[in-house]
Amino acid sequence: MTSLATLLQYIPYMLEGLIWTFTLVSGGLLLGFTIGLPLALAEVYGGEYTRTLVKCYIWFFRGVPLLVLLFLFYWGVFPSLGLKLAPLSTSIIVLGLRSGAYQSEIFRSAIQAIGEGQILAAEALGMNRLQAILYIVIPQILRIAIPAWSNEYAIILKDSAICFTLGVAEILTRARYVVITTGVALIPYLIAGVSLMILTYFGVKVLDRIYSRVKIPGLGVSLP
Amino acid sequence: MNFWSEFIVVLARGLIVTLEILSISIPASIILGIILGSLRVYGGKVTSTLSSAVANTFRGLPLIVTLIILFFGLADLKIYLSPFWAATIGFILCGGSYISEYVRTAIYSIEEGQSLAAQSIGMTKFQELIYIILPQAVRRALPAISNEIVYMIKYSSLAFIVGVQEIFSVAKTFNSLYFKSTEIFLTLALIYLILTGIATIIFKIVESKLKIPYS
Amino acid sequence: MKNSDIVLRAVDLYKSYGTVKAIDGVSLEVTRGETKVIVGPNGAGKSTLLKCLNLLIKPDKGRIWLEDVEITNSKTDICKIRQKIGFVFQEFNLFNHLIVLDNVMIGLTKVKKLSKEEAFKRAQEVLELVGVERSLWKRYPAQISGGQKQRVAIARALAMDPIIMLYDEPTSALDPQFVGEILEIIKMLSRNGLTSLIVTHEMGFAREVADEILFMYRGRILEKGPPTQILARPKYEATKRFFKEINRLYGAGG
Repeated sequence: MTSLATLLQYIPYMLEGLIWTFTLVSGGLLLGFTIGLPLALAEVYGGEYTRTLVKCYIWFFRGVPLLVLLFLFYWGVFPSLGLKLAPLSTSIIVLGLRSGAYQSEIFRSAIQAIGEGQILAAEALGMNRLQAILYIVIPQILRIAIPAWSNEYAIILKDSAICFTLGVAEILTRARYVVITTGVALIPYLIAGVSLMILTYFGVKVLDRIYSRVKIPGLGVSLP
Repeated sequence: MNFWSEFIVVLARGLIVTLEILSISIPASIILGIILGSLRVYGGKVTSTLSSAVANTFRGLPLIVTLIILFFGLADLKIYLSPFWAATIGFILCGGSYISEYVRTAIYSIEEGQSLAAQSIGMTKFQELIYIILPQAVRRALPAISNEIVYMIKYSSLAFIVGVQEIFSVAKTFNSLYFKSTEIFLTLALIYLILTGIATIIFKIVESKLKIPYS
Repeated sequence: MKNSDIVLRAVDLYKSYGTVKAIDGVSLEVTRGETKVIVGPNGAGKSTLLKCLNLLIKPDKGRIWLEDVEITNSKTDICKIRQKIGFVFQEFNLFNHLIVLDNVMIGLTKVKKLSKEEAFKRAQEVLELVGVERSLWKRYPAQISGGQKQRVAIARALAMDPIIMLYDEPTSALDPQFVGEILEIIKMLSRNGLTSLIVTHEMGFAREVADEILFMYRGRILEKGPPTQILARPKYEATKRFFKEINRLYGAGG
């Protein structure tokens, strides 16, 4: 059995994995945002054909487990397209595609929460659709959506650990390495788990703080 | 054709295991969630703090880490759980914790007057909880609970990590033999979509059966 | 025919919320068969007082007896006591998830542990007494009117066979067209000898039904007396002002 001292040596190595966790999370959230916001706008303001397409996208990426999506893209889709993507890139893309589906629902609720009167008032002033969306709708929904978005952050953070199945060198993968090397299982995994819990907790707190700073008095939306 | 017929047989076997896990986890996590949620509100200082601590722990820990700790980590403490039970217990703890949060919120949303009226006819706190508060709170929490169950169906794929031969695991093994990855995982995706679709329909039916006119 | 047997007695009740003294030293007694009415401006503490009497709110100080059992003693089983006190709320507080019949029966089956048949018989009795038609018995609270809700609420309390009924502004949340019928029911029960303590704004009703009126002001019982005396010759300025205002707003029958 390995001693506690030896175990402690591995902690920096494990915590370094959090950098990759962070990469996965921010990459996934960012990609999800760039997909989700346009999708939400398309679903609310687009025609029937567009809406159906968006609904299919959402249905697929919300309904299929992350694990299946990871393997589907890594072993199936990307090779079929002739792409040789590393586990990290694949994970970020898959997390992003999935988050895009969830974020589009978040922004859609936010758009519906502010009401269509906003667009009407903007157009009455002479703005065209695009200007109305850019200057009136988006600034509002970005603020309203923060609470639901912080929930999405928590989910992606916890799901980032699943990417260990593709071998991404984030904290869970490293914990596993420590386990195999030292033969001690409980402590490394506990450390990984607790680290992720702490990151989740503080991240949500930060987002709550931001929300209370920027929120619009009297306007809010509940989690979808 | 050989590939597909073999694949379907393999999938069927895996599906049975998945359904076995779910048939225990889903009811058990709902029951745990209701009990834990009630304790968090109606329990004394110690019970409610303890229950909240348990719930917040298993909500904060990623499910995958919980499963790994239950199967690999507990072995350090000489507690040896089988893959099936490590997975099932993990799902129950995680799902139950999330559901306890929804039940807790729902209990708080019940107007105080209902509580006062129950007390005014001489009900004990326990009677008040069982006969008046929970029947209303659980109904309110139903959409959130059904959402959680849908999550559970999807995350059941994680049982593969601790070695359960459920549907994802068998598909993956099959893939290492045939390497028709896109077909295999796309079919798997479809199966999960169907499973969650069925669950959603079932819950819609349950919800409509339990509906009560509210002013 | 009243005998001097005291059903409910409260001595030196105090209740504060932070710095606000909701009840500032209240004592009262209700004898068997008596109907007492408590009136006063909003915020005087009337509702708080009523809720203290069956310990829905715990007073900071003071003692309360139901017949000869001290309610405020921590050893007393408050649930048993509450079975003997009927409470009617301003907002009805019918159990939303139960049909009218079950609302009345649930106290009988689960608290008094009667059999379903006995509970049904009793529920039937009280529902007919307060005038709830059979066709409504299988409806949910959300499907009946405010007046009917309050009737069911009264039936629910009556079904437990209480020795005293507490009414907390029973008509304040009702549409005007239903106020009269509820007051009639309360009057009928009072005339049949049911010991009652009523908080209300309805002065005409108070005058008709009360054996004694208590005027509550800023957490204290300022004045009390039979209706003819207190309404005709109020002693304190506050009382005078209150009755004057009520008369002005609602007319002499208000």
